[in-house]
Amino acid sequence: MRLGMVIDLKRCMGCYGCQMACKAEHGTPPGVFFARVIKREEGQYPTARQIILPVLCNHCSDAPCVEVCPTGASHYAEHGVVDIDPELCVGCRSCMMACPYSNRYFNVDQRNYFGDEGPTAYEQARSSQHRESVVMKCNFCKDRRAEGKEPACVANCAAKARIFGDLEDPTSIVSQLIKDRAGFVLHPESGANPNVYYLAP
Amino acid sequence: MNRYDQLIVDLGNDYRPQREWGEGRGVLLVIGHFLVGVAGGTWLLSTVFGVSAGFFVAYVFGALGGLTHLMFLGHPEVAFKMMRNVRTSWVSRGFVGLSLFLLGGGLYLALLLLQLGDAWQALRLLAQGVAMLGALTVIGYMGFCYTASKAIPFWHSSLHPALYIAYAVRGGIAALLVIAAVTGTLANALLLQLWVAVSAIVTLFFIFEIQGAWTSANVAAKWSVRDVLAGRLALTFYGGTLAMGLIVPALLSSAAQTPLIMAAIGLASAAGDFFMKLTTVKAGVYLPLVMPSSRR
Repeated sequence: MRLGMVIDLKRCMGCYGCQMACKAEHGTPPGVFFARVIKREEGQYPTARQIILPVLCNHCSDAPCVEVCPTGASHYAEHGVVDIDPELCVGCRSCMMACPYSNRYFNVDQRNYFGDEGPTAYEQARSSQHRESVVMKCNFCKDRRAEGKEPACVANCAAKARIFGDLEDPTSIVSQLIKDRAGFVLHPESGANPNVYYLAP
Repeated sequence: MNRYDQLIVDLGNDYRPQREWGEGRGVLLVIGHFLVGVAGGTWLLSTVFGVSAGFFVAYVFGALGGLTHLMFLGHPEVAFKMMRNVRTSWVSRGFVGLSLFLLGGGLYLALLLLQLGDAWQALRLLAQGVAMLGALTVIGYMGFCYTASKAIPFWHSSLHPALYIAYAVRGGIAALLVIAAVTGTLANALLLQLWVAVSAIVTLFFIFEIQGAWTSANVAAKWSVRDVLAGRLALTFYGGTLAMGLIVPALLSSAAQTPLIMAAIGLASAAGDFFMKLTTVKAGVYLPLVMPSSRR
């Protein structure tokens, strides 16, 4: 089994629901985004258009981050998911320089969402569980998957633009979508063999 | 601007500079790379030219470089874990190399200071061999660390390791020039010729690297070149790398060769090397996920 995700850019409306669901699920501190939505405008009036690109860790099969990690903190977990063991991470940040998708964040100088008011009870319960001065990233919601649930960004996508499944199973919905709609990956030239596919808008 | 606000601004831009290596506490990594580069080069050239004082200076630079590397890490208390992935990680190889250098070099210097008899010759040779292996690893690993960084197209170049090796040798020459002046002797004339030759190689490599990045199809690499030559890093590049590191020592080398002038050449050259490393590290720009349109 090789877990992967398909993001249908035709369905995505850029609502940031995935980003917020991820924040709520993992309680990531400010400055750490496991899931993010990039928006850019392209062209000029009257042919201007908005590009919406939801991004996350691509859980590459030949992950450059795993290769460069000196401690083995970045590793392949089960079903091809790339994860970080925070207890092994020394915070050298070489993985951040190696990730062609820039989807790793260094958790340092932990801030509060409400500045001088100090951490809220929610932040104390959630953000503080993350080890400081280590690199963090998406793990396809390991805990949710252990409970048989889909990743939070998938379950909470209002437009059903995110589909999660087994890329090795040719009968799975993700495999079918990639085949039928010519799914593509970002930066294929990196040779990282990512497992997050996009469907053209 | 604080770190968080800067990140939010960067994420909204087409080109996002890497700020983890080279800014804030990240400067410690650049200092560390500079120090261990000079350490490796000095050890190598001290062996070639038989300069005993050079071994001590190299060792001190290596130890300081190791310390600054540790200070850069998020969790230096578990730095020993960096030995775990020597098979694929250049950071891991560098850690092992520096450890070998400090262990072997320390033992070699201790034996040198104690002036023990021929009975200890085998151990001295072993220590020297281990230290040299460590020095060579340290000289080589830095450039490969950057080349392995696929997110930063400007660094992801096969020339980067060669450039860093050449800079380490140049750093070694600079250290020997200063050591000669401090000990009140005139440095070996060959050293100055070597400095000219290595500087020429370094300049050539740097031009090739800039030219390669500029003519590549990669927009992020081009942006980095723009930053170096005409952007946020232009002052550091022209003032530090070019004027301080190349023009000043070149002018001094044509003057009368006194120990003081030789030392000034060494110091200016070393300062230029530091600024070159700082410039290229800070010039790193992440590969954009959305290719910016030509309008921007």
